[in-house]
Amino acid sequence: MSDQKKAPIRFSSLDGLFKGRQGVLFSIFLLFILFLGVFPFLPFASGFWLNTLTLILLLAAMSIGWNFIGGYTGYAAFGNVAFFGIGAYGTGLSMIRLGLSFFPALLIGAVAAMVFAILIGLPILRLKGHYFAIATVAIATALGEIADSWTSFTGGAAGITLPFFDPIEWSGQFFYYMAYLLAIGGLLLTWFILNRKMGYSWVAIREDEDAANMMGINTTWSKVMAFALSALMAGLAGGIYAYWKTFVLAEEVFKIEYTLQMILAAVLGGTGTIFGPFIGAFIYYILITLLVFFLPVGQLHATILGAIIILVMVFTPKGLMDFISGRKKLSINALLENIRTYRV
Amino acid sequence: METLQLTQGVVNAILLSGTLTLVAIGFSIVWGILNIINLAHGAFLMVGAYITYWLFTLYGVDPFLSLPISMLTMFVVGYMVQRYLINLVIRAPLLVTFLLTFALEIIIINLATFFWKGDLRSVTPDYAGLGFTIGDVQIPYVRLAAFVISLVLTGLLHVFMTYTKTGNAIRATGMDIDAARLQGVRIPQTYALTYALGTALAAGAGTLISISFPIDPTMGGAYTLRAFVICVLGGLGSIPGVILGALLFSFIEVFSGIWAPSLKDAIALLVLVLVLIFRPSGIAGKAFYH
Amino acid sequence: MSKRLLILIVVLLITVMALAACSKATTPAPAQEQTQEQTTEEKAPAGGEECKVVFGAAVSLTGKYAKEGEYVKNGYELYVEEINKQGGIPVGDKRCKVELKIYDDESNADRSAQLVEKLITEDKVTFLLGPYGSGNTFATTAIAEKYKVPMVEANGAATKIFNRGFKYSFAVLTPAPYYLRGIIDMALDKDPNLKTVAIVIENGAFALEVAQGAKDYAEEKGLDVVYFDKYAKAAKDVSSLITAMKSKNPDIVLGAGHLQDTILVMKQSKDLGLSPKVFGFSVGPTSPEFRKALGKDADYVVGAAQWTPELKYKSDDIFGTPQHFTELYKAKYGEIPPYQAAESAAALIAYQKAIEAAGSLDKDKVRDALAALDYDSFYGKLKFNEQGMNVYKPMAVMQNYTDGGLYTVWPKEAAVKEFLYPFVPWDQR
Repeated sequence: MSDQKKAPIRFSSLDGLFKGRQGVLFSIFLLFILFLGVFPFLPFASGFWLNTLTLILLLAAMSIGWNFIGGYTGYAAFGNVAFFGIGAYGTGLSMIRLGLSFFPALLIGAVAAMVFAILIGLPILRLKGHYFAIATVAIATALGEIADSWTSFTGGAAGITLPFFDPIEWSGQFFYYMAYLLAIGGLLLTWFILNRKMGYSWVAIREDEDAANMMGINTTWSKVMAFALSALMAGLAGGIYAYWKTFVLAEEVFKIEYTLQMILAAVLGGTGTIFGPFIGAFIYYILITLLVFFLPVGQLHATILGAIIILVMVFTPKGLMDFISGRKKLSINALLENIRTYRV
Repeated sequence: METLQLTQGVVNAILLSGTLTLVAIGFSIVWGILNIINLAHGAFLMVGAYITYWLFTLYGVDPFLSLPISMLTMFVVGYMVQRYLINLVIRAPLLVTFLLTFALEIIIINLATFFWKGDLRSVTPDYAGLGFTIGDVQIPYVRLAAFVISLVLTGLLHVFMTYTKTGNAIRATGMDIDAARLQGVRIPQTYALTYALGTALAAGAGTLISISFPIDPTMGGAYTLRAFVICVLGGLGSIPGVILGALLFSFIEVFSGIWAPSLKDAIALLVLVLVLIFRPSGIAGKAFYH
Repeated sequence: MSKRLLILIVVLLITVMALAACSKATTPAPAQEQTQEQTTEEKAPAGGEECKVVFGAAVSLTGKYAKEGEYVKNGYELYVEEINKQGGIPVGDKRCKVELKIYDDESNADRSAQLVEKLITEDKVTFLLGPYGSGNTFATTAIAEKYKVPMVEANGAATKIFNRGFKYSFAVLTPAPYYLRGIIDMALDKDPNLKTVAIVIENGAFALEVAQGAKDYAEEKGLDVVYFDKYAKAAKDVSSLITAMKSKNPDIVLGAGHLQDTILVMKQSKDLGLSPKVFGFSVGPTSPEFRKALGKDADYVVGAAQWTPELKYKSDDIFGTPQHFTELYKAKYGEIPPYQAAESAAALIAYQKAIEAAGSLDKDKVRDALAALDYDSFYGKLKFNEQGMNVYKPMAVMQNYTDGGLYTVWPKEAAVKEFLYPFVPWDQR
């Protein structure tokens, strides 16, 4: 338990990053990042692979964002798709209604998501546990429905269409790099914050909010910032997604599956760690893709996905990072530890 | 708004509140006693509805008679799920149980879609759609019957919780688990029983819903959300609170449905958020199942 | 340890970059695809036996559109089977075997776009066919346009898909705003005294266009639209709208939506005693599921149909008539073909005729031939306007008869039975 909780702090220091097994893993990770950086120029990088990796990187970015509020601060946010949707609509509407080009529009979308997170965060971050979780779900769902109905502003259920990226031949590469930079930026942002007071405040709030308050931490400010930064990541991802897909439909950009995906990615990789959500996004996506393409499960892949979630929740709810990094040995005992701790 | 809309709206809302009470009450006891947000609640409701549908379609069993069958079946299923799955991690952080029940929902819906196909089905006994009119207001028999049955079941639950030893044990567990254990309450079994009650009530609601509304495998999600809103409106832990919450919610739903049909859920959800922010203990405050 | 690792990283990095640079210098990614396309094209006329044309599609085989997706797949497969019996599609002076590559998009637009990208860049299909539903069609037409590969789709009726100036997308089906015109025409033809219309709408891209088109057309015909409101997608209770409509006492009630919500509207109309003179819907009443779900309560209800097995079209395509298509479909799948299957097969007929006209499998030539196409198929006229929509084919109307059957009642020249009018009120049954 306590070992796990020190993880972010240990990772946040550069000392010893290249030492021992941790060092090997970190180097492999770095190589992987570099590999992704040159990927579009590799001979086998077809449009399909670019498309797939763009999806994964956007998921990773959102998951990194979710980790701020859900992983480090410990607030079970279940409505982060709201920020994705606001980012998508903010970017799309700025482009077609104001005639802005993509980058300023993206900025507007992301800022809109952040401002919205601050406005709703102030009241709802006072809620605890289930109440906070469901308030976020409710806001995301309600927002989706409003976007779906408000025909004069958002185009309603008919949605809005965006111009194509120009030159169109390079759009695959362009959006891949946008997603790549966003995900890498998210990793750097996590690392940066964890070395600041803010990072310690988040973990302190997760461990014991009352104690943190008494220690003089401005918990409200810290929580709202965690929420707003996670909104920033999701909002940017939403904006990129909108321009990539060239259309925005409420039913697509507000679907609760996105929230579930970002949480699952973070949980699989390990919540409250820097690299967990990034790695988790890949693990999640590979699992899903394997299911769809290679396992003869036909229409039952959702059942398999559900079974995976249950297995992870029952046996390794802290994610696979502990085993990958060798901090824990993979054994039956280690797998049963969770049940021993939490059963009745 | 015209008079007919108003009077019919009031009648619709009252009739709806009966079924919604039943939907929410099972959710409420699971939440109150086990401290779990049971996201699979709507999925169990859906299975209950399908049990009624198949009994009616294959064997011609009257949908109202299938009520005890669907409730009993789901009682057993619910007991197993809690005893051998959720109990394993019940004291883990919120995220774990949240995702666990969510996964259960995904699995149940997927299996239902796989075996029963995704299309909309209806239970159509001969008396479906029949009713009587008072003035211009239509009152369908099945909805009236569903309303009455819901209230009877709710009443029975109240009696069970208040006057039986098991009911008292459940309430005691919800109030103070350690004290209950010291009194000799077997916690794992009590938890399983509570969850089973919750799923059985969900299945009962599913049966009643299947008679008035078309059903399909994804129907449950909307009811889980409604159950949540009702519990928050009424306050956690009291049966009258749930009834009050359901009544209030039904009026919001029916009348927002008349004014802005496509914003029905949004309005209900925003009310939820406002209640959460300004009166987190709900309108009826906190009590423990009596 | 750390130094060695750092060196290792640097060395690997340089290698990877060098490799990348090499590969980029020799074959840049987009250019590579083009060469591939050209080779297929060159092979086609020269290769003789080798000649084949591959159609690719992402279709919903699981998820919420699984049922409709299956019809689409059936339609595609039936055509492919029949054309291959004749040796394939004639290209120039010989025939090319037809192959079909279908993936399951899980009724998910992200997946749909991803798979179409795979069909184009990995599987190198010659031409694209459409998925099911406006949302997925939206996502995939954009990909087709990006790679300049033609896509003839048959199951996305929203005009919004085609208002974007795309050059490579075509739809064989009648667009959404035209859906309810047939019902309005038929009702007025029967009883010119009808005055008022109420329209309920599922809040979705397709249904909104259907409703707007119906409203405009009804007003043009002098009808008074007394109610026009939408309900949420996947709504489970529309009694508020029914009550509101009932208080307006309309002559005609039109529903724009899909099968599931149409059944819901009918059920609750009975519960609440809403009985107009005509009940008509965009999608739903023409499906056997409608009768199955409602039993006797389906009587008198009319629905718009893109195509029905009874229509009296004659054509020289491989199916010839709707009746022959129905026979073949029934023999293979054991049921009466739904219109989704027919329009999907028609998409391939459009391709065949365009390929024949172009005499080549070249993507741009076939695109131009598609744009110029004007052909009477078993499915009706196949002709595209500048945006790629088929606005030339009229909609049929089918009615659920009191004998339990489903018959074409409009247009008059194709009608099998007389339009039963008026709708008998619920309390008089």
